[in-house]
Amino acid sequence: MTEVVSENSEVTVLLVDDNPQNLKVLYETLKDKGYRLLIANEGEKALDLAHRHQPEVILLDIMMPDMDGYQVCERLKASPETADSAVVFLSALDDLQAKVKGFSLGGADYISKPFQSQEVIARVKTHARVIRLERELQARNRELQGDQTRILNSISEGIYGLDENGAIEFANPAAAMIMRCPVEEIVGRNFFEAHFATSIEGTGGLPVHGTCRQGVAENQRNIRMLRPDGSAFPAECRSTPKLDDDELHGAVVVFRDITAELESEAALEEARTLVQEQRDQLAHASRLTTMGEMAAGFAHEINQPLTAITNYARVSKRMMAKETPDLGLIGETLDKIEAQSHRASEIIRRIRRFMKKPATGKEIISLPSLLEDTRQFAEVDMRNNDGGIEVAVPEELPDVVADPIQVQQVALNLIRNALEATRSSGASTPVEVSASVAGPHCVRVQVRDHGIGLPEDAEEKLFLPFYTTKDEGMGIGLATCRSLIQAQGGDIGFERPEGGGACFFFTLPVAGAEGSPCRPEDPVSARED
Amino acid sequence: MTDIQQTVYVVEDDEAVRDSLELLLKSDSKPVQTYENATAFLKDYSDKMAGCIVLDIRMPGMDGMELQKKLNEKHSILPIIFVTGHGDVPMAVDAMKEGAVDFIQKPYREEALLEKIEAALEQDREQRKSLGQKQEIIRRIKSLTPREHEIMDRMIAGQANKVIAIELEISQRTVEIHRSRVMHKMGTHSLAHLVRMVLSVKDLIDAR
Repeated sequence: MTEVVSENSEVTVLLVDDNPQNLKVLYETLKDKGYRLLIANEGEKALDLAHRHQPEVILLDIMMPDMDGYQVCERLKASPETADSAVVFLSALDDLQAKVKGFSLGGADYISKPFQSQEVIARVKTHARVIRLERELQARNRELQGDQTRILNSISEGIYGLDENGAIEFANPAAAMIMRCPVEEIVGRNFFEAHFATSIEGTGGLPVHGTCRQGVAENQRNIRMLRPDGSAFPAECRSTPKLDDDELHGAVVVFRDITAELESEAALEEARTLVQEQRDQLAHASRLTTMGEMAAGFAHEINQPLTAITNYARVSKRMMAKETPDLGLIGETLDKIEAQSHRASEIIRRIRRFMKKPATGKEIISLPSLLEDTRQFAEVDMRNNDGGIEVAVPEELPDVVADPIQVQQVALNLIRNALEATRSSGASTPVEVSASVAGPHCVRVQVRDHGIGLPEDAEEKLFLPFYTTKDEGMGIGLATCRSLIQAQGGDIGFERPEGGGACFFFTLPVAGAEGSPCRPEDPVSARED
Repeated sequence: MTDIQQTVYVVEDDEAVRDSLELLLKSDSKPVQTYENATAFLKDYSDKMAGCIVLDIRMPGMDGMELQKKLNEKHSILPIIFVTGHGDVPMAVDAMKEGAVDFIQKPYREEALLEKIEAALEQDREQRKSLGQKQEIIRRIKSLTPREHEIMDRMIAGQANKVIAIELEISQRTVEIHRSRVMHKMGTHSLAHLVRMVLSVKDLIDAR
């Protein structure tokens, strides 16, 4: 049967017997079964053939001159090349003692002489299959182990297997590379003693210790690990417990040298700081520019109380010059002087606060008062604007986290633009400043005007640096506004409201909100509330 | 007619400046009337007003310059002193072109302001006086009969009685009678004075 042939092909069976007659019978019994048959009539020859061909099954006679079957079996089992062959003893000795001895030497089976050919065929077939499966399994195991080794070898992170005391049972090549020491010199050492300067209180507080002893996973970054040569490096280290049916068997430690990473992080941080500083300085420069533009307005605004003070002072002097001065009236006038000087100093305080040096830092701020302050500030500019500025902010608006000066700068910029747009279109509708909650962690402030509206290509250009629609503008206002608002974790944009004009808005994160809740990805902030 | 009540009209949007200015002027015994915006003043305005206006240039709504233009349209002769918070040369030039009498910058010394107000009031008095005289002359001219008016025009043109008589085809005697009535009605004895009087109101008559 072809099927049998194919099943038995590749299977080698070694027949060992000192009796030629027996060998012949065995050979005749098995010859058409598809096996490769080898024949030996003495022990030495059998061993030689077994070494060279590694037969799956060996039918071995016990009683032989020079070297008996037991000895042959012992030698076969002692040699790794032949240890897995299934040894089936053939003997007329049919006592329990002989069988036990045969099995104790590694024999797989026992066939009594004189044998039945059917029995021989069945046993050889069974053992051949078992051995073949075993060999396949071993080959598969070796393959898997090879894969595992290749993976462990190719991983750039160091990997240790520790027992519960911290002794290193396994180390991959990357671990050896990081430690600058061959794997063999690492394995067997104690992880804690080898890689940490153990302090007086012992290993208790060291990384990974909790994983070895209590079975808790750990993850530490920027810890200092020592190499066997005494040098140290910053490491990131993760350890997971080795558990076997809830029983703790130590830990697997994955670690890497993060020297380069820390350096590039530091460089990145430095660059970030530089960008931050430059943005703050730009913002400051832009505020100074705004102040310059508003200087005439401020001069006027401060002159008002000063004029009043001068007048009141003169009036007081005249009243005092009278024969019976009305002290009550003089007192009232002096009160008015005081009130006006407060008014002047308030304006100056507001200017000074606005011109403050960059980077005041984020604080929790209340938008209603900030916007009201900004409105008063902007009104300096709008004495020729009929409509004025209307601020509508709900009192229950949550506080936000931002740099108050920079938020005021953005709000002022948007309001002044809106006033200018209103003025240049000859309209007298007020500029509307309002604030509302937009999404769970975001507040939106908008400035709406009824001016000339926005150019068609505004979407692409409006927030670009140096783009301007004004004769005297430099085009850094809105670009600066955007970078300032983004630095607060907010977003800035505009809409074309129905009924003409323009509507600019910006969002800010509510105090206590996590992450960047107001970025454009957040659909709530990008749309009308 | 001589001693008409003069008032300083203050138009200023800033409450403190307005209040302090009112007190200051009152302490200087000047009648004061204050307005918080140009529209309020314009509503109150009549040509009977005498005195001067102290006017803030920068105001929300109608600003000082616009108010000046509106008053000019109404032939107001009230002198205007402009007050401004910041020196603005083009604005000052425009204001003076439109007939402002003075320009003062905030904060000002009250002496300077009071002096300017005094000068403005004096100018107002003068203008009002000359205006009064002119109106009297016009009244007198209006009392002439058409024939008398005709004779006066020829007298002023320097024509002799004889020439007038021939051109109008009337007797020289009749011309003399009309002539003496003209001199009487115009309240003068001198032809030179008559000429001066009529010329002084010429622009007013032409305007009509």
